[in-house]
This record gives sequence, structure tokens and C-alpha cells, in this order.
Amino acid sequence: MTERTPQPEQKEPRDAAYWARYAETLKVSGVAEGATNINVEGRRAVGPLQGFGKMWQKTYRVRLGGVAVSPAEVIQTWKDNYKDFWPEGNVFYAPLAGITPGEVALISGSLPGGVKLSTGVMVLYADEESFTLMTPQGHPFSGWITFSSFEEDGATIAQAQVLMRANDPLYEVGLRMGGHKMEDEMWQETLRNLAAHFGAREPVETNLVCVDPKLQWRHYRNVWHNAGIRSALHMVTAPLRWRSARKRR
Amino acid sequence: MTAETENLPGTLHALRGEFEGIREIRRTRRSEMPQAQITMDVRRVSAKVSVVDVKGELTAFAEGVLMDAYGQASEGGVRGIVMNFEGLEYMNSSGIGLLVTLLIRVNREKQKLLIYGLSDHYQSIFQITRLDDAIAIHDSEEDAVKAAST
Repeated sequence: MTERTPQPEQKEPRDAAYWARYAETLKVSGVAEGATNINVEGRRAVGPLQGFGKMWQKTYRVRLGGVAVSPAEVIQTWKDNYKDFWPEGNVFYAPLAGITPGEVALISGSLPGGVKLSTGVMVLYADEESFTLMTPQGHPFSGWITFSSFEEDGATIAQAQVLMRANDPLYEVGLRMGGHKMEDEMWQETLRNLAAHFGAREPVETNLVCVDPKLQWRHYRNVWHNAGIRSALHMVTAPLRWRSARKRR
Repeated sequence: MTAETENLPGTLHALRGEFEGIREIRRTRRSEMPQAQITMDVRRVSAKVSVVDVKGELTAFAEGVLMDAYGQASEGGVRGIVMNFEGLEYMNSSGIGLLVTLLIRVNREKQKLLIYGLSDHYQSIFQITRLDDAIAIHDSEEDAVKAAST
């Protein structure tokens, strides 16, 4: 027989307010004009363990040399202006409550062939000096992106770190055929834009590490939720939806 | 006292010897980085299983401490690594990321990673991040060590 020692009453941990609360599926609190919520509502959030492809840890960082700004100020600015630092062609529809734990943001990205990718992210964690976004099923990758700022050798550093696997076999092929490069360029430009906002013009350092070269074949069925395919289908079937809407009127 | 009686199991001398042995195995890992507010003590509880007692804050700064503790816990062909999180005081998303990379290393070495001592709050974080899909969470050290030994 196993005896369990009575546990003392648990105090609320210091990090409790920084984490999203557990929910089985994602719920979008409001859909901004221009956003499409076809691949986020009702999906589960997925981390790097649920993906299909090789696991990568990609770190992009820029030194804000010669700028008197604290890590907390950098992160507050990043949270408040997140969409403005993204490169053109991608739109981040910030949640109404801003980047706070548990909130879900919709994303519109560009895919080859003129397809508009509709996806999103959940704010998994947010404190004064970092925040982390987690992807939903169907997103091109399964994982987390952590944005942080800290001091190093007398300068403030801004960093984005992605821990990810391609979500399904199609995305894995896409990442190998130029997708990784596109993603690297996107985060490099984001960091350059952030640094420029503070008046810093230093190069972005990139460090790519393949944490696990194995493919997780047991997750090949993730392709069912592929947001690229679903976005393309949504686009090509738009005339049918317009026609049936007109008939109803 | 003869040499034989000194080594008999259960004698005071033998117990003291065991205690010294355990103390030798239990080396407290403290990072030289001032930001790492964490210690990880490693105990060998059987020939195939080590327990890592985590105390403090699991953040990005804990990487060196965690990987050192893992290296120490794996010495001598250990197959099961049990992490005791009863002393976990704080964890951010970088800390969760470290556990993912540790899990990959453990899987690569064909070892098992098991956890016990998570408070309700940290259990919920393991659910949100879906680490509980891949890491077995147990209620007690006894259960975790038993599962690691099978």
C-alpha cells in the first residue's frame, strides 16, 4: 500500500499570472476586420513534441548597442507594436486584450501561388521581459516562439527563439524547399525593424540548431488540419459561398 | 572489530559508509552564472535509476545546471532519469523549452524521463504545453522509480 504524505496548502506560485490557463481547444475572442478564422477556433495548441518534421531551435538576436533602453521597455514596446515589426505581406491581428496569457491572435500570411494562409497563435506565456506564442494544429510549424530581452556585456539584447517541427509531411517538404529561408528572413527583418525603432542599426545574429533530426512519422496525419490546404480550398470555394448567400437573400 | 563485521550490512559502520557514498554521489550543482537560481542534486537510487532533485527557478539560465545534472545522473549506464519537482519555485517558457531538449537527449540515449512532485499549477502547465503527452508524471518518487525500473 502506498501512503501519501499530506500536502501543505499550495501557495499561488510567482509565475501563475504569466501562464495561459489550460483549455482543451482554442477560442478566438473577436475577429478583426480582414481576418479569417477558419483554422484556429476549436483547434488544439501544439508544441514541438506534436509536430512531424525535424526539430529545430532557431535563435535570432540583435544588440541594441548605444541605446539606453531596459529589457522590460523593449518587451513592452514589442508587445504593443508586434504587428508593426513584421515584414510586409504578413498580417498579425492582435487580440483585443493585447499580448496577454491565453489570448489568441489571428494571422494572415502569404504562400506561393498567391494563396493567403489563415492561421493564428496563442499567447502561452507573457512576463515583463519575455513572451511566448504557441501554434495551433494546421500551422506550418508546431512549436513555440519566445521573444525576450536581457542585458549582456553592457548592452540590451532583443531575441526571438523558435523551437519547432514542421507540422506535417507537406510542410516539412515546403520548409526544406525554401520555407526555412523565408522564415529566417522574416524574423531577421522583424528584429531589424525592432532595433530600428530604438535607433539601433546592428546586424541580426542567427543561430540554427537541429535538435532532433528524426521525423515523427506517427504524426503524419496532422496533414488533415493543414492550414495551407484549407486556406486554398476556402479561397477557391469563395464564389460558391457568395452564390449561395445571394440565393438565400 | 574485524574487517568482515565492518562490512556486514546493517551495522553502524556499513550504514555510515552508505551515507558517505550517497553524499559523494549527491553533488550540488550550482551555476557560476549569477542569474541561475537553481540547484539540482543527483541521487543514484538503484543501479539503473537516478533521481534529480530540482530546487529553485527553471529558466533559460538553468541550461548548464540541467545538462550537468543530466550528465551526472546518466553515469554508469543509467536507464531511468526521475526528476523531482517538489522544490520547483518558478518556471518560464524557456524552462519548458529546456525540458523539451532534455527529453530529446534522453530519447536519443534510449533512456526514460519521468517526473514527480509537480504542484497543481505546474501540472497544468505540462498540460497546456502538452509535455504530459511525452513525459510520464507520477504522484510519488516510489511510483516514478518503480516505473523507471521496468
